Amino acid sequence: MTTTIADLKRQNNERYQRPGNSDYPQETVERIVRPAPDRYRNAIGKFKVDRLANCIACGRCAEVCSYGVHAKPEGYKYTIRPQDYRCIGPACLETGQDCVSQCPVHALRVRLNPNAECLGDPRWSSDLVLATWHMAETGHRPPAHLEYRLGESGGGFDRIRFKFEVDGSEPDRALADKPEDPASNSGPEADTGLELNRRGDNRPRIRIDIPVYGGGMSFGSVSIHTILAKARAMTAWNSFTCTGEGGYPDRLKPYDDHVITQVATGLFGVREETIRRVRIVEFKYAQGAKPGLGGHLLGDKNTPDVAQMRGAVAGNALFSPFPFHSVYSVEDHKKHLDWIKEVNPRCLVSVKVSTPTDVDMVAVGSFYAGAHIIHLDGSYGGTGAAPDIAKKNIAMPIEYAVPKVHKFLSAESIREKVTLIASGGIRTAYDALKAIALGADGVVIGTTEMIALGCVRCSTCESGRGCPRGIASTDPEMVALMPLDWATQRLINLQNAWREQMIYVLKKLGLPSIQSLRGRTDFLCYMDDSINTKDVAK
Amino acid sequence: MKDFSKQLLETRLRAYGAGGLSSFSKSAEEGGCGVTGFACNIPLAGRFIYEPSIQMQNRGNGKGGGIAAVGLTCEQIGVSRDVLDSHYLYQIALLDPDCHAELERQYILPYFEVALSTRQPHIDEYRDIPGLEVRPPDVHRYVARVKRDVLESFAQENGLEKMDSRDLEDEFVWRNSFRLNEAYYASLGEKRAFVLSHGRDLLVFKIVGYAEQNVQYYQLQDFKAHGWIAHQRYPTKGRVWHPGGAHPFVGLNEALVHNGDFANYHSVGEYLRQRNIRQQFLTDTEVSVQLFDLWDRVYKYPLEYIIEALAPTTEMDFDLLPPEKKETYRQIQATHIHASPDGPWFFIIARSKPDERKVQLLGITDTSMLRPQVFALSDNGEVQIGLICSEKQAIDATLRSLAAEDLRFCPVADRYWNARGGSHTDGGAFIFTIESNGNGGKKLTCTDKFGRPVTLDAGTVRCDPAPEDGGNEKVPNAMKELVSGHLDQGEAGELFDHACGLHCWDAADLGRFCRLVVEGARDAGSRRTAIAALTMLHDRRYYTGEKRRASVIRVVEDALEKLFDSAPLFEEPQSGYWRRLTWSSRERIAAPGKGEEALIIDARGFPPEGDDCDALLIRKGYELGWRKFVCYRLRGQRFHGAGLGERTDGVRIDLYGSDGDYAASGMDGLEIHIHGNAQDQVAQIANRGKLVIYGDVGQTFMYGAKGGEVFVLGNAAGRPLINAVGRPRVVINGTSLDFLAESFMAGDPLADGGFVILNGMEFDGRGRLIPQPVPYPGSNLFSLASGGAIYMRDPHQQVVKGQLNGGVLSSLTEADWNLIRPYLEENERLFGIRVQDLLTVGGQSRPPQEVYRKVSAVKLSVLAGGAPVEEDDY
Repeated sequence: MTTTIADLKRQNNERYQRPGNSDYPQETVERIVRPAPDRYRNAIGKFKVDRLANCIACGRCAEVCSYGVHAKPEGYKYTIRPQDYRCIGPACLETGQDCVSQCPVHALRVRLNPNAECLGDPRWSSDLVLATWHMAETGHRPPAHLEYRLGESGGGFDRIRFKFEVDGSEPDRALADKPEDPASNSGPEADTGLELNRRGDNRPRIRIDIPVYGGGMSFGSVSIHTILAKARAMTAWNSFTCTGEGGYPDRLKPYDDHVITQVATGLFGVREETIRRVRIVEFKYAQGAKPGLGGHLLGDKNTPDVAQMRGAVAGNALFSPFPFHSVYSVEDHKKHLDWIKEVNPRCLVSVKVSTPTDVDMVAVGSFYAGAHIIHLDGSYGGTGAAPDIAKKNIAMPIEYAVPKVHKFLSAESIREKVTLIASGGIRTAYDALKAIALGADGVVIGTTEMIALGCVRCSTCESGRGCPRGIASTDPEMVALMPLDWATQRLINLQNAWREQMIYVLKKLGLPSIQSLRGRTDFLCYMDDSINTKDVAK
Repeated sequence: MKDFSKQLLETRLRAYGAGGLSSFSKSAEEGGCGVTGFACNIPLAGRFIYEPSIQMQNRGNGKGGGIAAVGLTCEQIGVSRDVLDSHYLYQIALLDPDCHAELERQYILPYFEVALSTRQPHIDEYRDIPGLEVRPPDVHRYVARVKRDVLESFAQENGLEKMDSRDLEDEFVWRNSFRLNEAYYASLGEKRAFVLSHGRDLLVFKIVGYAEQNVQYYQLQDFKAHGWIAHQRYPTKGRVWHPGGAHPFVGLNEALVHNGDFANYHSVGEYLRQRNIRQQFLTDTEVSVQLFDLWDRVYKYPLEYIIEALAPTTEMDFDLLPPEKKETYRQIQATHIHASPDGPWFFIIARSKPDERKVQLLGITDTSMLRPQVFALSDNGEVQIGLICSEKQAIDATLRSLAAEDLRFCPVADRYWNARGGSHTDGGAFIFTIESNGNGGKKLTCTDKFGRPVTLDAGTVRCDPAPEDGGNEKVPNAMKELVSGHLDQGEAGELFDHACGLHCWDAADLGRFCRLVVEGARDAGSRRTAIAALTMLHDRRYYTGEKRRASVIRVVEDALEKLFDSAPLFEEPQSGYWRRLTWSSRERIAAPGKGEEALIIDARGFPPEGDDCDALLIRKGYELGWRKFVCYRLRGQRFHGAGLGERTDGVRIDLYGSDGDYAASGMDGLEIHIHGNAQDQVAQIANRGKLVIYGDVGQTFMYGAKGGEVFVLGNAAGRPLINAVGRPRVVINGTSLDFLAESFMAGDPLADGGFVILNGMEFDGRGRLIPQPVPYPGSNLFSLASGGAIYMRDPHQQVVKGQLNGGVLSSLTEADWNLIRPYLEENERLFGIRVQDLLTVGGQSRPPQEVYRKVSAVKLSVLAGGAPVEEDDY
């Protein structure tokens, strides 16, 4: 008769002092930006530099190039093969101090790289892919020759600009957000932190340092290195990553405090302990890229490891149904949330929904059901495994859904009590900023992280052993193609570059914090048909 | 009789005025709700709808609640029987009482002969009702008929002179209400008044609040009616709510409450507008009742056709229909399928048929049975009551509150069941009808949609009234000695065997026997034995002779509660073996003392969920070192056994009463016994451990489960084991209504994977094991499953290939039988269902291969992906 309920309460209180719910020793990851160059020998750049046979190896090109394309190290007889992915192209040629004009024998030629030209698609343009690679490599904004803010889709966020981008108040965009840009270097740093629990209930408050966390990708759909790199990078940034619905790999345990356990419609790998050890549990009701379709892991990707995690049989196709079979209405939904809250009395609950036309009502219902975070997943996202016919064709685009929900929650006087997260096609820091200006509190990213890890958008994520770059594969040899430390660094770098851009924009707008940007549509403008987006961007 | 439907609908446009038939989109999104209703052959007071409504508060959010009463008593309305049967009860909600005079002048006095004009009484101050935030409308009621000359000119204007005069009057009333609503509610920014109900022998009340607050505010505690329905609403849109959006909605002589959400509101609305029917309140429920009114009053369809139009019979159920019915149903579907509500829905409809002197209560669900619903029937020979609810616990709450006041009622129903809309086998929808019994009284009958009666084959002798001697005088000494002997020896089985002689006992002997058992439990050993023996008496099915089983259950339940009540609270002196917690003493929970094994929780007063629920108390007890738990007097509390975490082997939880949703969800090692029916979402993501359900289980049982050994005495409603993986091993002695083991992804049962044994048996009213009409009535079995197996008791090969979608039927092998046999033996131990009896077909013992069949998965190459799978790669 020793322990009483008072003791339990005290113990609980002591636990509250600790940030997390995990009993497993937690690892920290340093938030340091270090170069993480492409892991393939011939990195792809926008330009191709050809060295012709008449080169005399005089080393003049190495002397004039300040971008590291050419090098003739001490004691070398020849200049080494050009690292042409670093070349900034025509902008350099205009200076006259470039390798082409300086070459005494005219042995150098710069042209557009045909590999780069066929990379990407209108949403993820070649420039955006290359720019993301650059940010992941360096941790900073890409050079001016790469468009890093907009894609070429002609719609969505590509049609929306901050007014300062087009009204002439950003005269030298090339300098923007560079160390030498005066705007980036003066005054106190703007606050990019985000509070996730606003309900004012008795559950812990959780604050993340960037208004971004990682989306759910299951073990099975992506490799363990991808999962771990996402978790480690978000640990470094004091943010979160999400398990997806494939279960909770043991190797994630050192990062429990920065992992969101996803409870999705297939309930694969969802166990009480995976719910209890984390600080946030996410219900995935639907995915914006393929609402109403559910998920489907073909037999080939269901390897013995994947099967073990999901408690399934290797080689069998695994279905994730489109609805929660236990939730067909809002009172079921509340009951469902109550259940998770009973299993983990200290977790926050996030509800991920796609964006049907009545998404505002869904959001309000989720709030009354007890959600801390409402996560809207728009239609632009989705990997190669989501059917093309579904992507962009079913759900509402996120830039429509966010303001609709934001306004509705405000009219209901509950906007300040819930965190609104947007996802589904957030590619760039500018997309994130625009989503926030439209009314979201923060964003979730998915594809962007894959690009940072070297994804080339080949769209074969679901097939066979999957990804040729080992990102979305479960094949052990393919997985080993991508070292974990390198992948972690790439993602840390990416977030650093994003954060620098966010701070730049906040300063430009005269705002003290990312939260003060929320709902400020007055900073935005919409580019109508009469304006050629490419022209404005340049 | 001439069909006036076309003319009637065509002329309706006149009622709409300038608004015309313009289209609207749905204004409110409301998936959630709790619905309940009952009908009884004696009129019952409004306070009895109070209890079940409170039980389902957590299905609403207090932003809309309504009730309806049908089959009224003329004294309470204040008119003669003739007037009540012939006149309309025109009941108007006055949100703005000042508009009453004008409204009366414009919409009542010119058209109606008013027999009675009265204001519904209400309490003075609405704030006296805790939680009621919006003042309910004043309610004014006219008992009235349409003036003859008004009706004549109405007939002339609309070319309906030859129509039956009652039909004409009905239509006039309907249009008048439409115009009234249009003027005072629908078209105005400010909402001033609307018609609550206008049928005969039917009243509706609705407020912004919880359903039961109608009873309180309008002082209906003693207001009597044969049928009541109630609805808790969970609207999510709009900060300002009006009672007009609350359910029930009325057609003419019917009121409908609805739990669910349509995907095709637009299409249904379009269908109605093509027939000149316009919406005013813009909710799913309004269009639902408009459909019913159209098909019933305008097209004059029989009820069976209306139900078919709402919930079409499809797939195998359709194939099983007789040819002439197929032809009719095909016509109904062809004409009305686009008006069939698509998505999850469940309607309860209360209606009066005054010309036939009938009152009816109907429950109808969607074809796929996506909403939870439970039906129940109770009959003591004198009073009969039929109940329909979202949750069984609401039924129990109703019966309990009735039994507490009126000895003719029993707190346990004689029969509980689920239904699936569109089912051929069980009729899909059920109708309780109250009509004259020919002796000046009333009787209640229950039928399915085809009109086939639902009967009870139960004894009528009651065991539950307390023995008149009140004491032990009449207890034979032999019984005393026997009970104490078995208790001392720890022989629970023998005690149970003895009580199985019940069928030849005196009715009061059971009460005496139970009392001896309760009083004889004085130490750890005898307490264990007493609990075990009474629990067996409660859970098992045995022959009770002429004694009504519901009353047997009641006596045993009472005895168990008394037994548990005798456990000491934490502040009381230790008495070995057990400790008890109640709501008021819950804070005193402490670790078990020496010799203390069981933590007994009296669930009365605990909320069903949240930080103070009893499920969290179990968890605290577990952290303090308790391993054995008993929860009793459960009233729908949820989540028992959830949240204890991994590796909980050695924990046992016994649940008595009406257990709520999500029991055993996530269990990993522990053992749970649910003594009675289990509700929805039971054992979701269960991983390991043992679950025994001594009754039926609700929707989506074992959804996403990974393992566990589960034994179910009765049926599983819809979608059991959907998306389960790994190695769950389940015995279902009854059947499942549909979608059993959809997307089942368990491993090969013969290589440590999972399986379901489906016995397809039931018990008759006297406790005898008999096969159900078919082992599996649904059209979808093992659909899209990629692993695991179902072993079905199907000696007559009634399950056909058409029910499968991706599975394959095969015969049982020796290995299969060796695998399932231990589970059937455990099943025998738990429920007394003998393996030998299962293997007996038509009185003949058969080899297992002739009795059981196996359904297993076929591997589809399209689902494998590109390359063939090699298992030995790693």
